[in-house]
Amino acid sequence: MAFSLRGVRVPPNSASVEEARRRTLDFFKSACRSIPAIMETYNLYDVVTPSQLRSTISSEIRKNAHITNPKVIDVLLFKGMEELGNIVEHAKQRHHVLGQYVLGRGGLVQDLGPKDEGISEFLKQFYASNYF
Amino acid sequence: MAAALRPAILRHIRIPVQTLGRSRPLPCLHPLPTSMIRSMSSHGDDHLTREEVVERVLDVVKSFPKVDPSKVNPDVHFQKDLGLDSLDTVEIVMALEEEFKLEIPDKEADKIDSCSLAIEYISNHPMAV
Repeated sequence: MAFSLRGVRVPPNSASVEEARRRTLDFFKSACRSIPAIMETYNLYDVVTPSQLRSTISSEIRKNAHITNPKVIDVLLFKGMEELGNIVEHAKQRHHVLGQYVLGRGGLVQDLGPKDEGISEFLKQFYASNYF
Repeated sequence: MAAALRPAILRHIRIPVQTLGRSRPLPCLHPLPTSMIRSMSSHGDDHLTREEVVERVLDVVKSFPKVDPSKVNPDVHFQKDLGLDSLDTVEIVMALEEEFKLEIPDKEADKIDSCSLAIEYISNHPMAV
């Protein structure tokens, strides 16, 4: 089960934004505490430092910092816990972790070769994703 | 039969116990009592000096990417002086936990708001390495 290690102790119904904020910070702390285990599992010692991983996690959390509805925050926390559980129990692989959290947007993108130089902006966005 | 045999056997096995005479003066520190030498302790019993704690705490804060290193001094408040928010504060506390190999409980971690409180807490923590 995804939460065998993380332990979702409180049922996902935050009463207020304050409680949701508390649980976000607790989630962040448990994520930071499992960073050494993650580095050991995926052998990231030469690739990234723990402080860089901490910054990545905090920026991921900060992307949703503007949300005020406690139920939405609960859903995001649930997804975050699930992701953290997956990574800790080695359900993901090294390239997943590297691509999603170590390298940024420009890391895994294929270089545009000479054949692509003339394409339009529309096509570039289309190749990147379905939604834009 | 067994009842007679038992004390005979015990008489052979029992070691006569001698109580130490109270007249002998108790050696207090010489030789060093073995409880003071923790040879199997993996944590290093040498306590950190305060300057070393200050040094390392300031290093951790300065190496935080959002912090301007020139503004960091031992009295700086994370949110008021350095302009960080609560998530950054938690991140700094986690970085300190990693640096000093501690695990700070939530109640204490919430109170750590500034460099001086952090230095205070770590200096008073018996397990800080």
